Amino acid sequence: MSEITYLEAIRAALEDAMHEDERVFMLGEDIGHFGGPFGATKGLAETFGTDRIIDTPISEEGFVGAALGAAWMGERPIVELQFADFISCAFDPIVSVGAKTHWRSGIRFPVVIRAPFGGGIRGGPFHASCPEGWFVGVAGLKVVAPGTVEDAYGLLRSSIDDDDPVIYFEHKGLYRRLKGSRPTPATRTPIGKARVVQAGSDATIVTYGAGVDLARTATAATNGNGSSVEVVDLRTLWPFDEEAVLSSIDKTSRVLVLQEAARSTGAAGVVMSLISQHAFELLDAPAKLHAPVDTPVPFAPELEDAYLPSVDSLTAALDDLLSY
Amino acid sequence: MSTEPASETQWREPDPPGSGVIPCVEAPAIPRETQLELLQLGLLQRLTEDRAMLLYRQGRIPGSYYTGRGQEAVGAAAGLCLGPDDVVAPLNRELSCHFARGVTVADVFRNFLARATGPTRGRDGNMHFGMPARGVFPLVSMLGVLCPVSVGAALAFKRRGEPRVALTFWGDGAMCTGDVHEGMNLAGVLDVPAVFVIQNNQYAYSTPTGREMVNTNIAERIEGGWSIPCQRVDGTDAIAAYAAIGEAVRRARDGDGPHAVEAFSLRMHGHAAHDDASYVPSELLDHFANRRDPIKRLRKRLELDGVPQSELDELHARVSDEVAEGLAEAERAPPADPDTIQDGVYAMPPSHA
Repeated sequence: MSEITYLEAIRAALEDAMHEDERVFMLGEDIGHFGGPFGATKGLAETFGTDRIIDTPISEEGFVGAALGAAWMGERPIVELQFADFISCAFDPIVSVGAKTHWRSGIRFPVVIRAPFGGGIRGGPFHASCPEGWFVGVAGLKVVAPGTVEDAYGLLRSSIDDDDPVIYFEHKGLYRRLKGSRPTPATRTPIGKARVVQAGSDATIVTYGAGVDLARTATAATNGNGSSVEVVDLRTLWPFDEEAVLSSIDKTSRVLVLQEAARSTGAAGVVMSLISQHAFELLDAPAKLHAPVDTPVPFAPELEDAYLPSVDSLTAALDDLLSY
Repeated sequence: MSTEPASETQWREPDPPGSGVIPCVEAPAIPRETQLELLQLGLLQRLTEDRAMLLYRQGRIPGSYYTGRGQEAVGAAAGLCLGPDDVVAPLNRELSCHFARGVTVADVFRNFLARATGPTRGRDGNMHFGMPARGVFPLVSMLGVLCPVSVGAALAFKRRGEPRVALTFWGDGAMCTGDVHEGMNLAGVLDVPAVFVIQNNQYAYSTPTGREMVNTNIAERIEGGWSIPCQRVDGTDAIAAYAAIGEAVRRARDGDGPHAVEAFSLRMHGHAAHDDASYVPSELLDHFANRRDPIKRLRKRLELDGVPQSELDELHARVSDEVAEGLAEAERAPPADPDTIQDGVYAMPPSHA
């Protein structure tokens, strides 16, 4: 089977879902014949027509709101944001309408909001953010972030199948870097389930998104040096799989939470809160957080490289944890 | 009392001479039953809100309480212009629109009184409720945000080739938000069957329209700025409002794209029950109360058209009974149940839960 990239897996999921279900359509800026800033929707307008791949004006609040309205009427819209950073413009429809309406009235919103996030592309403060933390903890929203090609496909298909609003954070740095076999159209990654991507016994890394690949790469060396680190990919950031986190810590007694979002945002807060409440007696060392400092994402290569977690910085943090 | 009180840069139909109630316009083309229905819906809102205001003052309605006094005609007109398959998102001033959709007085009071069997099961209060089965979307307090949501509903109708419309309201206040710009712009470029009814009640909370926008001619701005046809109508005249909104709904349904109506009135109460509206000039309030009360205006028109006083009194009594019975029914409903607080956060609870 031929290999496809993480980005191609996203496109394949969109294509397969649209072939299977007339109700699925897309709204976003420049997603039609242009194919979107990263080419995620390239070719879809030709296949499905511009009535299903709808170019919108620059108005995130408008078209995210409109997606909710169409979903209210039984459609299954997918919204593409050009960069996750611009999700701030759509905060009101997401948080005030999308999150609270089912609980108040029973109206369902099967909407997927695709949000390309993350750094490493020299995007600077407005094109490289990890804003998932603004939505983690919001009752009524689901937040997912695939870290593998298979999950890029499977989580997107599950998000499209889901009757709740799902924010799908896709990592720009993984778009062309990760490759894997093309998932079958039946592939689904269950929302709310983490996955142990690498078994180990000495420490646990809990991470998501680009952190998964980073954790694997960094521990390839560490694990060769006689220690064995388990990697848990959250996959769903909210509501997240508490059980998977706790059972891994039960096995390893040491935990490091790794994320690309600045340390006081992202998904780390809710994970650390769980650990402090429910894993205290399982731990042989304080839980460790490995994440950037609390600043916007910087632009200069020297600054961004210093800001983002790296193999070196993660290895050093793991050494600290293992030697405590 | 022939001089009109000054309001800040505001429009309305010029008052005819005299001092009495100004009757609604004549409209022989609008069936008598429809005109009576408009009166009934307006009265239902008026009497329900009067009763609810008393309950609020007695401390029996938690939170705050909002009325649409002086604006009852617009919600009633819009509600009657819609067909059973259309959808609508009413806001705080449009209780009569809920009634037109078949929402009952008991439904409304169960929400005001925060009962377990109310439309939101006690999860939300006052006018923040919808009845999805009746095509009514629940109000969201971030006014303006339901404009793009309605545009999306209209987009669904267009995609499926269904002859349905989505209607929503907003006021002069939300006219200043970005949401309505984005929503109207999107409605235009997507050419969807959306209808916007702008309730210009002259005040956004305490701020008069003249201090909210430079050009207070909202209809002119909507036509010129968003290229959406927008009729300006006297919102205290139920018959004029019904004709204007009916036209907008018909055209949108016929594939003529989005349409709007600006309905001009005066908010006769404060923004909410705690607000005495002392910032509204009393002569302006008196003027609208004496000459432009929408209920009185419609009744006067019906009287002039030969409907007997006794029939109108009977209608009033019937509505009054309906409100009393609806309230009694709601009061028998059980209080909200804390054990259900987490029910329905998700339509599909995640698989680990």
